[in-house]
Order: sequence, then C-alpha cells, then structure tokens
Amino acid sequence: MSTETKPKAELYKRVDRIQSLVRDQFAFLRQDRLAFAGVLVVGAFVFTGVFGPLLAPHDPIEYTVRDQAGSILRLSGPTGAAVLGTTAYGKDVLSQFLAGARPTLIVGLFGGLGTGAIGFLVGLVSGYYGGWVDEVLMRLTDLTFSLPFMPMALLLLTFVTPNIWLMTAIIAGFLWKMPARVVRSEVLSVRERTFVKSARASGASDFRTMFYHVGPNVLPIGFLYTAYGVAWAIAAQASLAFLGFGDPTMTSWGRMLRQVFESGNMRIAWWWVFPPAIGIAAVTTSVFLIGRAYEEVINPEIQTDQ
Amino acid sequence: MTQFQRFLAKRLAISVLLTLVAVSVIFVVLRLLPGSPFEALVTSGNLNQQQINEIRSMYGLNQPLWQQYVSYMGSILTFEFGYSILRSQPVWSVLEPRLVNTLILLVPALVTTAVLSSSLGMYVGWNRGSFLEKFSIISTTFLRSTPVFITGIFFIIVFAYNLELVPAFGMRSVTASPEGYAETFLSVDFAYHYVLPFTVAVLYYSGDFLLLARNGVVEKRGSEFLKLHRAKGLSEMQQLARAGRNSMLPILTYFALRLGMIFQGLILLEVVFGWPGIGRELVLAIQQQDYPLVQAAVFIMALAVIIANLAADVLYAYFDPTVSTNGSGSA
Amino acid sequence: MSLLEVEDLKVTYTTDDESVHAVNDVSFSIDEGINYGLAGESGSGKSTVAEALLGLLPGNGTVERGTIQFDGKDLTSLSEAERRDVLWEDIAYIPQSAMDSLDPVMSTGAQITQAIHNHRNVSDAKARNRVRELFEIVGLDPDRIDDYPHEFSGGMRQRVTIAMALALEPDLIIADEPTTGLDVIVQDKIIDKILEIQERMDSSLLLITHEIGVIAETCDELSILYGGKVMEQGSVDNVLVNPTNPYTMGLKNSFPEIEDGDADPVAIPGSPPNLNREPTACVFEDRCPFATDECGESHPDLVDLPNRNHRSACHNVEEAAQMRRDAKAPETWDIPDSDADGSDRGEVVLETDGLEKYYEQSQSLVSQFRGEDPDYVKAVDGVSLSVRRSEVLGVAGESGCGKSTLGETIALLEDPTGGEMVFDGEPFEYYQDGNLQEFRRKVQIIFQDPFDSLNPRQTVRKLVGEPLTIHDYRTDERERAIVETLEKVGLTPAEKFLDQYPHELSGGQRQRVAVAKALVLDPDFLICDEPASMLDVSLKVNLLNLLRGLADAEDIGIVYISHDLASLVQVSDRLAIMYLGRIIEEGDVGRIATQPKHPYTTSLLAAAPEKDPTADRTRVLLDGEPPDPVDLPSGCAFAPRCPKAEESCWEAEPGLDEAGDADHRAACYVPDDESESPASKGTAGDGGFETPVDADSLSD
Repeated sequence: MSTETKPKAELYKRVDRIQSLVRDQFAFLRQDRLAFAGVLVVGAFVFTGVFGPLLAPHDPIEYTVRDQAGSILRLSGPTGAAVLGTTAYGKDVLSQFLAGARPTLIVGLFGGLGTGAIGFLVGLVSGYYGGWVDEVLMRLTDLTFSLPFMPMALLLLTFVTPNIWLMTAIIAGFLWKMPARVVRSEVLSVRERTFVKSARASGASDFRTMFYHVGPNVLPIGFLYTAYGVAWAIAAQASLAFLGFGDPTMTSWGRMLRQVFESGNMRIAWWWVFPPAIGIAAVTTSVFLIGRAYEEVINPEIQTDQ
Repeated sequence: MTQFQRFLAKRLAISVLLTLVAVSVIFVVLRLLPGSPFEALVTSGNLNQQQINEIRSMYGLNQPLWQQYVSYMGSILTFEFGYSILRSQPVWSVLEPRLVNTLILLVPALVTTAVLSSSLGMYVGWNRGSFLEKFSIISTTFLRSTPVFITGIFFIIVFAYNLELVPAFGMRSVTASPEGYAETFLSVDFAYHYVLPFTVAVLYYSGDFLLLARNGVVEKRGSEFLKLHRAKGLSEMQQLARAGRNSMLPILTYFALRLGMIFQGLILLEVVFGWPGIGRELVLAIQQQDYPLVQAAVFIMALAVIIANLAADVLYAYFDPTVSTNGSGSA
Repeated sequence: MSLLEVEDLKVTYTTDDESVHAVNDVSFSIDEGINYGLAGESGSGKSTVAEALLGLLPGNGTVERGTIQFDGKDLTSLSEAERRDVLWEDIAYIPQSAMDSLDPVMSTGAQITQAIHNHRNVSDAKARNRVRELFEIVGLDPDRIDDYPHEFSGGMRQRVTIAMALALEPDLIIADEPTTGLDVIVQDKIIDKILEIQERMDSSLLLITHEIGVIAETCDELSILYGGKVMEQGSVDNVLVNPTNPYTMGLKNSFPEIEDGDADPVAIPGSPPNLNREPTACVFEDRCPFATDECGESHPDLVDLPNRNHRSACHNVEEAAQMRRDAKAPETWDIPDSDADGSDRGEVVLETDGLEKYYEQSQSLVSQFRGEDPDYVKAVDGVSLSVRRSEVLGVAGESGCGKSTLGETIALLEDPTGGEMVFDGEPFEYYQDGNLQEFRRKVQIIFQDPFDSLNPRQTVRKLVGEPLTIHDYRTDERERAIVETLEKVGLTPAEKFLDQYPHELSGGQRQRVAVAKALVLDPDFLICDEPASMLDVSLKVNLLNLLRGLADAEDIGIVYISHDLASLVQVSDRLAIMYLGRIIEEGDVGRIATQPKHPYTTSLLAAAPEKDPTADRTRVLLDGEPPDPVDLPSGCAFAPRCPKAEESCWEAEPGLDEAGDADHRAACYVPDDESESPASKGTAGDGGFETPVDADSLSD
C-alpha cells in the first residue's frame, strides 16, 4: 500500500508497536489471575505439544515396558520403570501422554485458526455487503447449523482414513458458523457507524472500507472466537478420537481415553485415565478462561462499572 | 397480510428450503463417498452375489443415481425410512425407543438447567464481583469447555467406582425386563441409572445459560431504565426482577435452539454412560454402515434443528415488542 | 424554610488507577415552590449532584462528605429502605434520556402503576384511573396506557416520564436535562408542560441543564457549576443579567442568539479541567483572561454579594463590572477577531432542481402481484437550492424532516431518485457514471458525531492522510499536507497530534480532525451535517467560527445542516427551512430571522429559549408532531399543524415562489408579515394552481 521511503524506520516502529502490544496484553492478563493461570497452562501445553515426543522416555507405541523378569508389565501403577504406570498393553503412559499432546495441539491450533479465519471472513463479507450476499452466506451457516456436527464428521471419517489434517479441515469446516454469526452481527453495527460512512464519502473502495475500517474494529471479536475455536477443536478432536475415529497412526489424548474405556480398565487404572483427561480438561478450560477475560473487555455492554 | 404473517411466511419458506438442501447433502455424503454398505457383509462372507443383487434391488441401489435420489427424497420426506440393513427391522421401530430414551434423559436436564442456572446467573450478575459470581463462572466454564465424556468419566470414577452410589453403565439392570414406557421409566432401578448422566447433562448445559443470564443482567444493571426503576423506589428484588425480565429473550431463544439440538443427543454422554439413546445408536449404525438407519437418524436431527431455529426466530419476533419483523430497522 | 439543603457535598468516582473529583464542596438550597436551575457544561458535575440527591450514584461513586437535608432528614444517612420510601413519594425524577429510560418490555401504564403500588396501598383499578388522569394532564391519549415505550415518539416518551414523576404529587421534582435530544419545538412544549403542571401542584423543581436559556426562562434561582465547583449562585435575574464571575460571563457570551446575528458569539478557549486531583487553584484559572496570581493559589470561596441574592466564587469579584465589559470583546479571550464580513460570493458551485430521494417501503407479495404501487417514504421531496463559492447555506429543520438525507443525497452517498443536481458544471449522472472519485475528491462531508466519525483504530496521521492515499493527491508531500491541514483547523502544534488515537482527543479536537480530514483534499464543496450538535457550547462556537472562516478564506461552498437555528443564523449567509422533505422557506439569513414568512419558521424561531431572563417570549405551541412522511395529506404538508391554515392550504401545495421575492421565498399562501413584505403577491386565491415546480407528482 504505502510507498514509504523510510522502510527501516517504519519497520522499527512496527516492531516497537508489537513489543508494546505484547507487553500490554501480558500486563492485562496478569491482572486477571484466572486468565493468567490459563496462560501458564496453555504455555505448558504448547511446550509439550512441540517438544513432548522428544522428551518422552520411550516410544509411545513401539516400546513395551517389561519387568526384571522380562515379562510385559501390564496395567502397572506408577513405578520407577514407568513413572505414570503402564497401559493394558504394557505401554508407558507418560510417553503416550507426552507424545499425545502434539496431535491435540495441531488440531486445536489449526482448527481454531481455521474456524476463526473462515468465520471472520464470512461474517465480514456477509455483514458488510448485506443483500443477497448476506442471504446466501447466512443460509449456508444455517445449513451447517442444521447438519449435526458429530454424525456428519463420523460419516466423513468412515469413508476416508482419518489423519489429523483431514480432521482439522472437517472441524474448521463445521465450526466456522459460530464466529461467522457473531462477527456478522458485530459488522452490522460497525457498518452503521459514522466513520464507515465517512470513509465511503472520502472515496474509499469497498475493499478498503471493509478491511481498513470495518475489519479492525471487529477483529477483537474474531480473536476471541478464534480462542474459543481452539477449545472447541480440541474438544471435538478428543471426542472423535474417543469414538474411535482418530488418526490410527498417532497417539492422542482422546485415543488414550478410548483405549482405557474400551479395554474396560477405567475402574482400576486411574493412572491411565487421569493424565489425558486432566490434560484435555485443563487446556480447554484455560483457553476459555483467557477468552472470557478478553470478552469482559471487548463486550462494551458488560464492561460497565465494576 | 400483517407484517408478522409475512415474516412468518418467509421464515417458513426458508426452513422448507433448508430441509430440502440438508436432506440432499445427506444423500450426497452417503452415496457419493467411496465404499458400499454391503462391503462389510460381502467380506464377512455371509452373502453370495445373488443375494447381494437381490438386496441391492430391494433397496433400489441398482437404479441410476438420480432415480435413487428422487425415490430417496420421496420416501424420507414422507417419513418412510425403510428397513435397517443390519437389524432387519423397520428403521422407525429401531429409532423410536432410542429417541424416547434420549428425550427422557435430556429434556428434563435441559429444563432443569435452564431454570436453575439462569436464575443463578441473574443473581450473580446482580451481585457482581461476589465470590459466588467468580466461583460459578469458573466452575461452569470448566463444565462447558471440557468435553462431556471427560466430565462423565470423572463422575463415573468418583460416584460409581469409588463411592459406589450408582451404577456406571446402562439404563437399567441387566435383569430388569419392563414392559412399556411407564414401567420402564417409573422404576427405582431406572432412577438409579438416571441420576449420573442426568447430573452430568445438567452441568454440561449450565454454562451457557448462566453466562447468558449473567451478562444480560450486568448489561441491564447500568441501563437508564433501571435507574428510573430505582428512582421510583423499587426494592432490590423488584429491580432484579425487571433486569431479569429484560434479559429473558436471549435465554428463551437459546433454550429453543438447544431443544432442537437435543435430538442429536449428547452422543459422547450416551456412549460413556452406555445410554441406549439415538446418538449412541447412530454411532453404532455408522460403524456398521447401516445406511437407512443413518440417513433417517441424521434427517430427524437436522429437521429438529431447523424447526427449533424457526421457533426461536418466531419467539423472538413475537415476544420482543421492540423488534421489527422485517429484518432491518423500521423505515 | 428550605425544602432541600445541600451543604459541602463532595462526590468522587474511583476507577482502576485514579479517582475523579466530580463534585467538590457544592452547597445550595431550594425553598418550597421554587424552581431551581443547575447549569454547567458536560463534566461540570451537575448530573452527579442529581444522582447523589437520589442515591443513584453508580457503584464506584461515593459521597465523601457533606449533608443533604430534605424536609429535616439527612438523605445521606438514610438506610436503603428509608431512602426507597422517600424516593418518588417525596422526590421524583425526570431522567435525561427518555429514549432509554423506559423499560422496553413493560407497558408505559404498568411502569407508572408500579410506582404507585410501591408507595400506596391502592386497588389496581384506582391506580389505572390515576394513570389515565396523568396521561391526560401531560397531553397523552389516556387510551394508550397499555402501549409499550417503542410505540411512542421521543417527545411523547418524555411526557410519559413526566406523568410518572407526577404520579404521587411529590414535593420535589428533579429533572436532569429533560429536553436534551429533543427538537426545539418539542422542547418548548415539554418545558411549558412542566411549568404548567408544577405550578398547579405547587412542588419545587430542580432543573439540571446545559442550556442557560432554558433556566433563564423557567427558574427563579440557579447555581452555575464548573469543574465540580459552584462558580456563581443566586437569583436568576441577578446572575444572568449581571454576572460577576468570568466563567458565567464566558458561558453567557458563547450562546449564540438569533436576534443578535451580527455579533459573533465569543467562545471560551481551552477545555474543562482535569478532575483527577482535588482542585488547588481556581478551577477556571487556566482559561480565565482575568486570572491573577491569587487565582493560582486557591479556589475562591463562594461569597455573598452585598444586599442581593447573589453569591460568586471569584477572587476578583470587585472588578465584576469592568470584567463584564471586557468579556464581550473577543480580544479579551485571545480570539482573533475574524469578522471578515461581506466576503464576495463566487459563482454557483452546486445547484439542485427538484431533487428527490424516495425510499420504497417493503410491501407484501400479494400487493406486488396485484401490481399495486409501493408506498414511498419521501425523505427528500423536490428540493431546489443553489450554493455559491464562499457561501454558507444553512439548512434547518426538526429531526425526521429529511435534512440529513438531503446532505447525503447531495454527497451522492444516497442515489437521488429524481430531480436534477449540477455540481461544478456537470450533472450528477456524469459523476455516477464512472467519475465518482473526482466528485469524492471535490465534495466532502462532515458528520454529526465526533465520537463516532473517526475510526478508533487509526492515528490522526492515518486518518487525515487516508484521503490523500485514496486519491493519490500530494502523496509526495504527505506529511506536509497533513501538518498544514491540521494547523489550518487550529490543531497546533500539529506534530503533537499526529500519533494520537481518537480516544486520546477531546470532543472538540476530534471534530477538528474530522474537519481536517475533509479539508486535506482542498475540496470545492463541504457538507456539514450537524457537526456541532454534540459539542459543548464553547466548543460549538469555536467550530462555527472555524467553518465561517474557511468559507471566506478558501473559496469553499458550504451547506450547513442543523436543527439549531441560533447556530445557523451565526454561520450562514442564506438559510433554507425544511419541513417533511421540502424547503418551505429560503432566503437571506437576516430577513428570515427577523421577518419569517412561513408560520412554521415563525414557530421554530419562537421556540428557541432566550438567555436573558428579562426578555419576554410568546410561545407558539404547535399541535402534534410532524406526520409520517408516507401518507402525506394533499395540499400544504404543514396545514394540519398550521394555526393559520385556510381552505386553499388543504387543496394544493404551495410552491416556494408563493410568497416573497428572489432573496426571500416562502411556500405559503398566507405568509406572516405580509404587509412588510415588499414583493407580496397578496393572498393567493383559489386559482393557486400554478403547477408548482416541486409539486408532489406521486401523491395520487
């Protein structure tokens, strides 16, 4: 856009702005202790997702824990050989837990981003143009609302061998309706604001008005729903895996839970249940808590006097 | 024609159209994706080619696709769901009891949670900043963001396995063989099995209602009209009642939408608790590739959502005296 | 004995990181049966005082000290329950914004009966009867008590709140800006109603407003608040006729008045004080031209002036008479005298002929099949006007008269549905046909709301620079163009503002940025749609002077749209009065202000309050409100409300040439001041069918 002759200065300024932005966000989150705890949990989760497989003491699937005698150690509680115990098949729970974070992270992150991005764009375009564009896009969201997510996802996954990217696509393909509706209604009110009219009056094109004037003012809501999208995507991925429609080649937390459940060992093997269950619950709850902290700020209606 | 009737007619037309499109999508997904429903039977060696052909023609699968489509549309829209491939029973007689089981679990749960958590939400919204507000928000955030099967697993481990208060699985004891709905649902044995999934469902639904009610009341608290109510000398409770009344509409509409989703069941909840509802049946049917059952179940689910959507729109237009029914602001 | 006695009231708000000292040691007392005015600009703490009296302060506001004696009781020490008993029974409240003050999901009648039931043990039927009675008193149809608030217009809703305040015949009514946001004619009627009722009921009234004109006309005593302090206090006649405080003088002088259209109002430069700290100096010190060293040391006490009901807080109160004289001159306030009057008007830059903007109403499928013509809302209905360079054309009218739509249609933000418009020698079709960018560069529009007209996520540099980017204009010297323009609109030093976001600017500064954004492209034509309506009076005057100066210096043609006749008279060369989409009178400002021809113009002019309490004004109270612009009566649109309507008015619509001469035209068969009008045509008889230019051709 801009043909500035001082790209360097501009770049410094931008870096500066981003730095202060990050600092502001951090300072803001520090104030809300819950949200801050959420940040720590999510931070730990991302770390595990990235480095977990490297940190895992054993291969989660190939390696079988054996006792001194060499026989397979099945359903053993936490011991020195397996810090978090073993599964019914003699696999190391800790290794599975560490390795299982990655697919959860990938689907959560990209599913959430996809949900947010598609929803934001659809909402923006639909709300800004109105008329038949709006009508078509909104009926499309109605359609995705009426088709039940879980059964449709299961159907699609029976025909195609599941892998995490496909799951990410399916999840984003169904969840974008949520941000789309909210962003649209937000756009509808921003569109009526004077500065948008003023932009049109000064000759700004639709594209420019939409992305420079309307877009930035609904971006916070878009971010918020991206965060929620991450939580939804993680929950959806875990649910699909729990039903046995996960990527069969990868250990994920949902798949771990399915294995305990299927093998009928839930009653005894608490060490096998709790790591993945608490992991999923902690991450989804944390993401929501962070989102809520922002919602209190973004939603002008509920940010009245404290 | 009044404006309201016109609005109603438009919404109806849209709903009918949506139903047609949704049904077509289901058809496309089921027929165009690779894999045949009889592969499982063939590979298991139970049928020879002759029998397969007979069955294929029985289900009309040997006709060209468009004819299949037409007859499919015709039958599904007249609620003729055909025969379940694997259960060899009419689809409806398989689905009906499952649907009833789901509704008996979830409708009371939804109503309970709508009443309880909305009231609680209004109360904590009014007493903003209280400990109760923080606590209820954190706990419901946890309950609504955590996948329902994980909450279910926690509850089973605590209440069924460790405290051994209630059974963990199923809708009634293996030995029980009741006749008819009344006998099934009015027994102590059923109540035993009912408590845990019911509680988890109530808690799972609670978050949205609580936040909706709370945000509504918080928003109304700062409003000008409440200031006037306060100036008139209304007591705290009377003011809260007005703030609550003014936040009812979103809650009502949300309730209608949720009610529509109930027909999908809480699939994961039903699976974890072994509840013989429609969601669990659908998962089984998908795993076994029982087409007629799947398409009927998905159709019922979609239809319920579309009808609930319609109901929510109409509720909104009907009950909000200020909303204009022609979509945009009044001219 | 006084009914209400406020002593040393101090209210602070605490926010996250600072506390705001909104009201500082305010004392005043109201006697029984007295109308008391509390005047001040926004941020003066006047509404906070009302909230403190009623116990309605928001959660973060606290009464730090002071007492509020009402009828012998100290309101600040009452328990919640005791206070609830006093509220409404003894003190009723008319809120600021009737638009949002009524419960939207409760019928208006029920909201009033609720107040009655809460304090009196009466039967439902009795309470309903009382509501019917009240509706009658305030001039509403008693059969409408079961209607919901949204079924009433703004003025009618304010009547509902008045009816509610009267329900229990309280001793004191607190009215917080009861007429803000209402049209001048409606405002006049509401004020009239409040006075009439309050006289009958013999209660006291505390009227809070920023319009000293309203107080001058209605109140016996007043306090002038500034920065949470009482600056001057006493009987209205004393304070407003002979102010002794520089702030009062400045406030009074900055109110434009219709009569003295030639004398520019004098604005107080600067902006209201920051109340984050408790005031140590005189709160007005930094804006006061008479400030001395003493003023910087302490805020003056409110001292009694000898022998009069008059108190003033000023260290220099002895020199009041001298200050009064000086305060009238702009130089005193360091304002350059911009009286470049009589500038030459240039050639015509914009001309419209019968311009129309109709909105089609949605209609049912059935009537579409029947081929019925849809109904139209005739927002702009045959407007013909012309604007020259260096000329300011004022367009006046009540809300809903179509004046904003006219502005947007001229700016081609709305497509005209009929008529002609020529700008800079080319018809509007030429611009719509692919030359819109050229038009957008030459014609700029400034909108009403300074808080909403700037994108909150852009800095001033981006805001002002964006038009340059869009039109690729002076892009090689962007920064210079931006700085130049900012300085032109008085934002100096411009560099200080470049990196600020709108929320960091005050209302007046924002509106200046909006003006800069319009001027940066060196336009030929400017449309101003109520640019000053949300600004405090001193800022408003600043903006008016700025626009006037621009028209003179930059050769720009300006259309200034407003409901505020007084400002229009100040800023315009010519005036057009609009009613229901039509221009009903047009001409030289001076002539319209002094000798209006159309009865509607007469009532508009008469409805504006006078700031001089000694002036006597005759009210012309019009019946009803403007009708729905869908089903207009045939004939003159104003006839149903017109006090002078005759047979002929109902038959055919008068054209704008019906009365007056080329410099002053009016669409009326029976114009006022007929005898003084030189080019009178005499009363147009029944043969008045001279195919008016802007006749409503679609009204069959």
